[in-house]
Amino acid sequence: MGVRKFRDVSEMEDTLWRVPGDPELLRAIASTWAFADRILPRRFPPGVYHHRSIEEAKELKERWGDADFNALQERRRKAG
Amino acid sequence: MDYELTRRVLAEFERQGVAYVVFGAVAVNLQGLARATEDLDVFVAPTRENVERLKSALRAVFSDPHIDEISADDLLGEYPAVQYIPPQGGFHIDILTKLGDAFRYEDLDSEKLDLGGVSVNVATPATLYRMKKGTIRLKDRADAEALRRRFRLPEE
Repeated sequence: MGVRKFRDVSEMEDTLWRVPGDPELLRAIASTWAFADRILPRRFPPGVYHHRSIEEAKELKERWGDADFNALQERRRKAG
Repeated sequence: MDYELTRRVLAEFERQGVAYVVFGAVAVNLQGLARATEDLDVFVAPTRENVERLKSALRAVFSDPHIDEISADDLLGEYPAVQYIPPQGGFHIDILTKLGDAFRYEDLDSEKLDLGGVSVNVATPATLYRMKKGTIRLKDRADAEALRRRFRLPEE
């Protein structure tokens, strides 16, 4: 595909969408998830966690995210 | 997020007759926008039989005694949100029987979409938009706006 031109950046976002069920969409999903896992692998503590609300669940998820981020920063710092 | 494991979990839900609807980022992916995520969000019908089918389906995919800790008493009672993290630890499954006072299982419109040869129940774009538009997280609001534009949904 050559150069594509847009009048507004929001038009660019529209090109990211694919048709549900299209094999090309499923390939894009699989490769996007695999790429994300390679550049920032997430590791959550296995088990079952019970919450009174989705907000509680999201708070715990945020804490895991912070811990992962801090660990990544620490690894980078040690690597120099 | 593991594509193949996600497909296997949902295939087993289908095989064992779990009443569920995928929502959240995986649903946005299946509606056409590939983007990274860390969790599979599923709404399940709030009955004891359905929770047992859910646990049986998870056991068929993961050899994990933790699955026994998912209880109908919790999901139908004080704890309508349960996070299950499989032994691999790379993603989690968020299981809900209600979302605040706004959404119950029976409130969700869903449709069947293909996920690698498995036909899965996915929240419709309009339902996803309603669920995401009022949330605090920026990426959820961005999803809502993207869905509204893509599917020409009326602004609420």
